Amino acid sequence: MTGPLFDIAVTVARIAVFFAFCFGLVVVMTWVERKGAAYIQDRRGPNRADIFGIRAWGLFHPLADALKFLFKEDFIPDNAHRLFYQMAPMFSLAPAILGIAIIPFGPDVTVMGRTIALQIADLNVGILYLFAVSGMTVYGVVLAGWASGSKYPLLGGLRSSAQMLSYEVSMGLSLIGIFMVFESVRMSQIVAGQGGLLFGVLPKWGVFVQPLGFILFLVAQYAEANRTPFDLPEGESELVAGYHTEYASFKFSMFMMAEYLHMVVGAAVVATLFFGGWQFPYLGDAGFLFPGGFAVAVPPALVLLLRIGSFVAKVLFFAWLYVWVRWTIPRFRYDQVMRLGWKVMLPLSLLNIFATGLILLLLNR
Amino acid sequence: MPTLTLNGMTVDVPPGTSILDAAKQVGVEIPHYCYHPKLSVAGNCRMCLVEIEKFPKLQTACSTVVNDGMVVRTDTEKVRKAVTGVLELMLIHHPIDCPICDQAGECGLQDYYMKFGLHKSRYALEDKVHKKKVQDIGGQVVLDAERCILCSRCVRFLAEVTGTRELDFFNRGDHSEISIFPGKPLDNNYTGNLADICPVGALTSKDFRFRCRVWLLKAFDSICTGCSKGCNVDAHFKGDILYRLKPRWNDAVNQAWMCDFGRLTYKEMNEARLLTPFVREEGARKVAAWGSLLPDVAFRLKATADKSGADRVAVIASPQSSNEELYLLRRLATELLGTKNLAFTHRVAGDGFADDFLIQADKNPNSRGAQLLGIPDGAVFDALVSKISAGGIDALLVFGNVLGALSEEETAALLANVPFVAQVGTNEGPVSKAATAVLPSASVAERGGTFTSHVGRVQRFRFGFPARGKAKNPVEILVSLGNRLGAGWSFAGEASVFRALAESEAPFAGMSYDSIGMLGQEIKT
Amino acid sequence: MTIGVIKVARPREMSFPESLYLLEIVKGLGVTMGHLLSNIVRQEGIKTIEYPEVRRPMPPRFRGKHRLMKRENGAPRCVACYCCSTACPAKCITIVAGESPDPAVEKYPVRFDIDMLRCVFCGMCVEACPCDAIRMDTGWFTPPDDTREKLIFTIDTLLEK
Ligand code: SF4
Ligand code: SF4
Ligand code: SF4
Ligand code: SF4
Ligand code: FES
Repeated sequence: MTGPLFDIAVTVARIAVFFAFCFGLVVVMTWVERKGAAYIQDRRGPNRADIFGIRAWGLFHPLADALKFLFKEDFIPDNAHRLFYQMAPMFSLAPAILGIAIIPFGPDVTVMGRTIALQIADLNVGILYLFAVSGMTVYGVVLAGWASGSKYPLLGGLRSSAQMLSYEVSMGLSLIGIFMVFESVRMSQIVAGQGGLLFGVLPKWGVFVQPLGFILFLVAQYAEANRTPFDLPEGESELVAGYHTEYASFKFSMFMMAEYLHMVVGAAVVATLFFGGWQFPYLGDAGFLFPGGFAVAVPPALVLLLRIGSFVAKVLFFAWLYVWVRWTIPRFRYDQVMRLGWKVMLPLSLLNIFATGLILLLLNR
Repeated sequence: MPTLTLNGMTVDVPPGTSILDAAKQVGVEIPHYCYHPKLSVAGNCRMCLVEIEKFPKLQTACSTVVNDGMVVRTDTEKVRKAVTGVLELMLIHHPIDCPICDQAGECGLQDYYMKFGLHKSRYALEDKVHKKKVQDIGGQVVLDAERCILCSRCVRFLAEVTGTRELDFFNRGDHSEISIFPGKPLDNNYTGNLADICPVGALTSKDFRFRCRVWLLKAFDSICTGCSKGCNVDAHFKGDILYRLKPRWNDAVNQAWMCDFGRLTYKEMNEARLLTPFVREEGARKVAAWGSLLPDVAFRLKATADKSGADRVAVIASPQSSNEELYLLRRLATELLGTKNLAFTHRVAGDGFADDFLIQADKNPNSRGAQLLGIPDGAVFDALVSKISAGGIDALLVFGNVLGALSEEETAALLANVPFVAQVGTNEGPVSKAATAVLPSASVAERGGTFTSHVGRVQRFRFGFPARGKAKNPVEILVSLGNRLGAGWSFAGEASVFRALAESEAPFAGMSYDSIGMLGQEIKT
Repeated sequence: MTIGVIKVARPREMSFPESLYLLEIVKGLGVTMGHLLSNIVRQEGIKTIEYPEVRRPMPPRFRGKHRLMKRENGAPRCVACYCCSTACPAKCITIVAGESPDPAVEKYPVRFDIDMLRCVFCGMCVEACPCDAIRMDTGWFTPPDDTREKLIFTIDTLLEK
């Protein structure tokens, strides 16, 4: 196979596989969310949809949901702005998935003498790109709220724009520490940087070098994804269903997919930035090397599998964390959200930068 | 005049008045079953017991005549106990069939039990004496001997009013019951009244049997359309369906009675009604709209009068129409169409049976009114019929569902001679089957107006409920036809028509709906 | 006149670590995870009633779907007295009475319809019936259906239950 053709094939394959991974996980997450919520609340959860009598713990419900959304009447309210109303779900969905482009799923692999990165695009602006696309999600929500031509969506849209803008700030600032520590904004380098050991014992993961940054980032991300406890834009007790009140059928399902994509991509980002990405603790290219000099040789293929597996496991955990948190913590009041964003998160993230800088300065002297 | 002191109130009554009647005058209700104002006093039910000063025992109020200075009490414990006792005795063998009894809701036993009884039964169910239920004794009534309280009202009615004496008591004590003589069913024309006077459900109407519960019915004042006697009736209806007619007391006309034939005339207002205006095109009915049909009819009548001469236009009135309608129709024919061809007939198919009590030979409620309003009968009508069959009429306006005594075939053959026949009628009948244009009219229950009885008594019938289907009040039809013929009438409703009628028609001079009132007013002769 | 003052117990002030919420959130997560795991392992802890298969036992006085009682010979016990339809505040009972083939019964309902869509399940009809002919003791709700007509229960449906 000639060079450019091979490159294109590889790129297409990577896109296909990573997208499939994300969307597949979305489907599973809807099930996990409903089932998890049910068990947490001592209920049974969905268990009725069946194929030829096989119920499989309700695993077919996402399928049934998808079909239902597809076949529901797709109507546009009278007062809605026809064009923007239809565009809003796309604006919501597209930025949510774009983030996956810079996530490394594993280390570079060598196939037929060529090195292939398990990453769609290793941009040199890396994390900044992530901010850019995640900043765009707010458009989908605001557009949906405004174009519906109805009061509850409008209020939901307004809330979400204020909320997302507020947390965008702390989210950005909370990551500065990571850049400072790993001296890069390139994802692959940040992951590579987390391969080492801290004090010779702990893996040098972001969470250990930036504990405060991790907490701030995680909170900011929940706010960005409009997930409980920050799901005020769709707070059903106040706003019916917030910005997507007027949406039904497939358009509504696009909003739902966007929410779950946020979770999946968010989980991947957290795993990459703070939990070593594909790094498996103490696993080097040749095998395990535990502190104290104890070493186990591992074949390269297994190393690759372990690393990808560790990444996937981390993503799954953080995706689950979203669900777990949702069914544990109640929704904030709107003023509390704002107070937390501006009066707590912002000063803390500035403090984090200052402290990180100070420590780095002292260490490097 | 003797003065009576009743429960502390004093009342002066004419000599010979019973305590029960006197009490009624001061608004004190004395319970009673056997007493009926239109029948002789029997004094056998003992419900009307009252305490009279200086009398050692309680006395029956229905049969005790007021003496001057009598002091009567109906509210003492002694009276109450006696009445309760009488009631309990009556109920001892009573089947308490109320769920299936048509009397329920207007039953004397139910009413008085709630007022004076409310006792628990002290008599075992098994010990009750059973009598024959659901007996068809002829006429319009069903007899349930078990429910009878032996008040003898029915016996007295048949003896004193009809004189036919078909019912009497048989057996004794607990077993005495009311019955007909073997093989001799009720045979008179007033049997329906038995169901009315029976204070309980022993005699109930065959026709009304199980059709509706009385508490669901509403009533309005009407006049029976069965004959020219003009019996006053209460018409009972639910929704837009009439369920029964009951005589309304009017001492000047029917007292408290009505005949069996008249009782069933309400059916006509329920069944086979004309509900939509239609025209007949090449033999087929085509539904028409009022908005276009009224101008069409007016135009045809007018055009015929203008083109072929008013002599070729005819109007046939109906003795079933009210005075108001006949008055408007006469003016429409003579003033607006300018025709002399205006007549009606009081004849109907059948024998025209009459008796010397209520039933009149003329089976129409308003033949007298038509005559008084100057619409000719008899020979003039026959002449008009011959003229029609000779092809001398080009446009005809008919009121009513039948043409006198003519059969369906005769009517069809006669009307075939007229190119344009417009009918205003309430029911399907010979005329509606032959007419070119049919304008459905509201029935007697659906409109108001006055009839003039055979003795010239003008009596009102009232609006009961809105007309069914698309039927219209004939006054409205006539006013709208008249105005299209250039009358310029501004009548709104029958009251305004009657005012005009009373002003211009001598026999009705000085009358108004107010002066006619509930009971009617005789014309001046 | 004195103004009464009611002392309301205020929630206790949070300590500093509590006010950070961090530990408290983790504790909360622990609680929910505990429920999750115990419910996965022990399904008895789950309160869900698997509706169509398992039915919640209704209290004895629960007013459910109506039924008409039968006589020993299978004929309706109802004598078409109209008491129920008169008492019904929703006016949803339509009765047409007729002459019963059984002369001892005399009156029976030729038609007896209850419009379940209008019924408010007040039980007045049961209260009013002098013959104990109508009951609401089926212990069951009106099931959903796909046309309005099917939810107008006729005498045959009512006698079946
Ligand atoms: S006569 Fe009166 S008390 Fe007797 S069954 Fe009929 S309604 Fe009931
Ligand atoms: S049948 Fe009626 S009217 Fe005749 S005696 Fe009996 S209760 Fe009286
Ligand atoms: S329960 Fe109430 S509303 Fe329903 S049929 Fe009976 S009386 Fe009518
Ligand atoms: S109240 Fe009872 S007996 Fe009367 S109609 Fe209703 S169900 Fe039948
Ligand atoms: S009314 Fe006086 S005894 Fe019957």
